[in-house]
Amino acid sequence: MKLETRKIPESEPETVEIRYHWVTDEIQEIISFVKSRQGQLSATRDGQRFEVPVMDLLYAESVDERLFLYTAGDSYEIRMKLYELEEILKNKCFFRASKSMIVNLMKITSVRPALNGRFSAVLKNGEEIIISRKYVPELKQMLKGGES
Amino acid sequence: MTGQKWKGLFIRAIRLYTLLVTLIIVIMMILGSLLDRDRVFSYDAFLSPLIYALIGTVATVITRSDRELSVRSLIIRKVISLLLIEGAIILIALNAETIPTEKSWVIPGLAIGVFAVFVLTHIILYLIDRREAGKLNADLARFQEKQMDGSPAAG
Repeated sequence: MKLETRKIPESEPETVEIRYHWVTDEIQEIISFVKSRQGQLSATRDGQRFEVPVMDLLYAESVDERLFLYTAGDSYEIRMKLYELEEILKNKCFFRASKSMIVNLMKITSVRPALNGRFSAVLKNGEEIIISRKYVPELKQMLKGGES
Repeated sequence: MTGQKWKGLFIRAIRLYTLLVTLIIVIMMILGSLLDRDRVFSYDAFLSPLIYALIGTVATVITRSDRELSVRSLIIRKVISLLLIEGAIILIALNAETIPTEKSWVIPGLAIGVFAVFVLTHIILYLIDRREAGKLNADLARFQEKQMDGSPAAG
C-alpha cells in the first residue's frame, strides 16, 4: 500500500483519505483507527458493524484473546488488543483496572474495598468491577491530575 | 515482578508486620492476665511478638497471589494461611521451655489467640482500605466534576 502525506495550509481542514479497491481487513483496521481518534470505535454485535462513541463506554474487557466493549445497554466485540485500545483511549479518562480490563473513570459511581486488598468500582449501570491493587497507584495519580 | 510491585509488596508486608506485633502483644497481655497471671518472664519474652509476627507475615506473603482469585479460592488461601500460622506457632510453643504446654488450656488458648489476631488483622486492614476508598471517591468526584467543566484533569 502506498503512503502519501502532504503538508497543507492551516486554513484547510486536516483530512485522512483512504483510496481502496476493496474494504479488506487491513483497510477496515485503518478506518477503525482513524475513527477511534475521533472518539468512535468500530465494533461488531451479532455480525453487524456499529460505531460506538468512546464516551458511552463503561469498560473494555479482554476474554480469551477477544476484546469486548460494554456500554450501559450493549456489548460489542472489537478487533484489537487491549493494550492497543488502552493506547487509543489514553488521555480520555480511561484507566487500567486489571490485567484484562480498562474502565471509563467518568462511569464510576463509587469505589469500595473488596477482598484481599483489592478495590471494587461500582459503575453507573450498577455493575461492579474489580480494581487490582497493582493499578491503584496509577488510578490515584490520574485522579490527582497526573499523566494518564 | 516490577520494582513498583516489590515496593508495594514490601510496604504491605511491613504494615502487616507492625500490625501483627501490636495485636500479638495485646492478645498475649489479655490471655496472660486471664490464664497465667503470676508468670514472670525474662527480657527474652520481648522477642516472642516479633517472631510470631514474622511467622504471620511470611505465611501471608507466601500464600498471596497476583492472580484475580475467585472468592472461593481466596477463602481457601486464607484458611491455608491461618493453618500455617497456627501450626508454626504451636510447634514453637511445644518446643519452647518458657511456654507451659503441659497445662491443658495453653494450646487451645494459643490457637484461639492466633485466630483472634488473624481476624482482627483482617478487620483493621479492611478499615484502612475503606479509608483509602473514601479518599479515592473524593478524588474521583473532583476529577469527574473537572472533566464535566471541560478543563482536562489528566494528561
